[in-house]
Amino acid sequence: MKFKSVLFVAIAILILGTFSMAQPLRLVFWGGWTGPDGNVMRQLVSEYNSTHPNVVVSLTTMQWTPLFTKFLVSSRGGQSPNILAMHGPDVPEFASYGLLTPIGNIIKGAGFEASQFAPAAWNGTFYKGKQYAFPLDLHMNAIYYNQKLFEKAGITPPKGWITGKEFLDMAIKLTVDKNGKHPNQAGFDPNNVVQYGIALYSLNWHGFLQWYELLRQQGYNFLNSSMNEVGYPLNAGQKAWSWLQDLFFKYHVAPVGANSPLKDFLIGKTAMLEDGPWEMPAMEAQKGLKWSTFPVPQVFKYKAVWGSGHVLTIPVRQDKEHMKAAEEFVTWLLKHSDKWALSGNIPAYNSSRKFAYSLPGRAGFLAEASYVAMLPRIPKESQVFSSASVSPIVVAGQNILVRDKTILPVMKWMNEQINAIFNR
Amino acid sequence: MNGKKRSYRMVPYLFLLPYLFAFITFRFGPSIAGFFVSLTRWNIVGQAKFVGFRNFIDLFQDPNFIKSLINTLYFMLLTVPALVIGGLMIAMLVDQPLRGRTATRTFVFMPYVIMSTVVGVIWLWIFDAQYGILNYYIGLLGIRPIAWLSNVNWAMPAVAIATIWWTIGFNMILFLAGLQDIPNELKEAARIDGASSWQTFWNITLPLLRPTTIIVVMLTLINTFQVFAQVYVMTGGGPEMATLTVVQYMYVQSFQYYRLGYGSAISYIVFVFLVGLILLERGLLKKSGDLD
Repeated sequence: MKFKSVLFVAIAILILGTFSMAQPLRLVFWGGWTGPDGNVMRQLVSEYNSTHPNVVVSLTTMQWTPLFTKFLVSSRGGQSPNILAMHGPDVPEFASYGLLTPIGNIIKGAGFEASQFAPAAWNGTFYKGKQYAFPLDLHMNAIYYNQKLFEKAGITPPKGWITGKEFLDMAIKLTVDKNGKHPNQAGFDPNNVVQYGIALYSLNWHGFLQWYELLRQQGYNFLNSSMNEVGYPLNAGQKAWSWLQDLFFKYHVAPVGANSPLKDFLIGKTAMLEDGPWEMPAMEAQKGLKWSTFPVPQVFKYKAVWGSGHVLTIPVRQDKEHMKAAEEFVTWLLKHSDKWALSGNIPAYNSSRKFAYSLPGRAGFLAEASYVAMLPRIPKESQVFSSASVSPIVVAGQNILVRDKTILPVMKWMNEQINAIFNR
Repeated sequence: MNGKKRSYRMVPYLFLLPYLFAFITFRFGPSIAGFFVSLTRWNIVGQAKFVGFRNFIDLFQDPNFIKSLINTLYFMLLTVPALVIGGLMIAMLVDQPLRGRTATRTFVFMPYVIMSTVVGVIWLWIFDAQYGILNYYIGLLGIRPIAWLSNVNWAMPAVAIATIWWTIGFNMILFLAGLQDIPNELKEAARIDGASSWQTFWNITLPLLRPTTIIVVMLTLINTFQVFAQVYVMTGGGPEMATLTVVQYMYVQSFQYYRLGYGSAISYIVFVFLVGLILLERGLLKKSGDLD
């Protein structure tokens, strides 16, 4: 009888033990990487899972906007993911809702410090003096260029930052009408251009972002020091818009109202494109296209380029076990983020960034890593810097860069609308 | 015996129960809750703050909402007559004993089974200013390329064209069913009496199609007032809010700005408009004696 009892207990322990061994801890990881970048992250996650048998990280990707809505709804229902990716400027909004765990001690405990990361990426993880996120990468604008079209025009591609004047001269040389004339030649026909110098976004919020980097190149911030209303000098804003508007309507080096500047560049209709590193997979997939990058032009006094960065956050309301596992996974991911450069994003962790130098086409982005100007980090970020069609920054860009409207009244309207959002 | 009869009477309701449960849980309940949300300021995660009818008052002082309302009515003006009259014309055509009419019916109806987002993407390519097939063909006629989706004047007509192509097949099917319900004897009698085709259409076909026409008009008004996916995919509401519609504005406020109260207030305005249309439809059907 005694033997039977011992046997029973032993079997029970064995079964329970086997059961618990067969059930590794599951971590839910959400990110908005819906393109080839999602595949790179999936590979990293898979590598982690294969080397950490006690944990299974499950990555779910969907577009950022529905992802954040889903996050809010699931947080309300107490079902947050264990790890959530977002952009640096998104942090204050979610932190102000009380949904993110402050990770200052965790990041210190993992041996990370500010000097090991690109400054813009590190600074983008704070809100009201507290750190809420792990900086994963930077992604900023740069100029993609078509090597064949540059050779044909006899232009040597820049190796680093160039001035606005040098950039404009290149763009003029690269713009050709059906009679082979350039915009600076008599008889140039702006209605029959066969090749443009530069493709710029003007219909979506990237028009505003191009303007924002030019404002920052003049040394001004978009908002006042209290970050509760628009605070830049109007003449600086006007100079920035004017430079962009002239590329379209004075120099005719950029096509007006282009639906897809990327497509225009891919097929060789434009020789340059201002865009982010997320377009690299499209460049690599385009047969016959020889391309590379250089930094955006320095039009004004300072070097600055609009950029953002992916960060990793740990939402609140999870048990200690999941929290600890999430911390370990994120720490591992940062230390192995060199391969993340394959997605086009520039790793924020300095030692991981080195690998990016060996990859083609990254030169322009890497040269900009210390000059990234992120949008102001404010709790109303989703409304003030919205990419929706009703967003004042989108409408202002369309008015100035597509409809050639007088800059000052449009800019004043944009400022009023943004201040109204702050005051709501 | 009475008890047994009563329990038999309950049987149909039991069959309805699963649907009723889903309807109350996922439709009716949230709709009622939505009304209470419309009386609050709420960003999903925080505590909702009761503001009474403030959201509704703010809405009618919000120029973007007024613009979205005007845009939606413009969209309806562009699409509803074309969908109703066009649907009827196509139905009459494919009702004729002509060769290939089954294939024609299929081709006209086929777009309707495509997902709205796919429709948006297809037309995004067709309307592309640089490489779109439409600009290629109008170029052959010597017309300069039109920036269909980036020009404030052309964007809404472009969305309307895509919508007409997508949904006209549904109206055709409804009209076809209505046409086939009209007894042939009546038309033959008219023809024997010397009525022309036009007179037959005007005095026989059209009056007998009245109940179908009322339903088609109402359904088209309801569907076009709720336009969203095509706009979302093709223009995102731009350029310069030229294609911003009421439902899209509701989406932006609720799910991009996280202003659930404001978004719910917009949805209740849509709801009141649609209920008004349905009541009008019932009134018209009742008046014509087609609703017993």
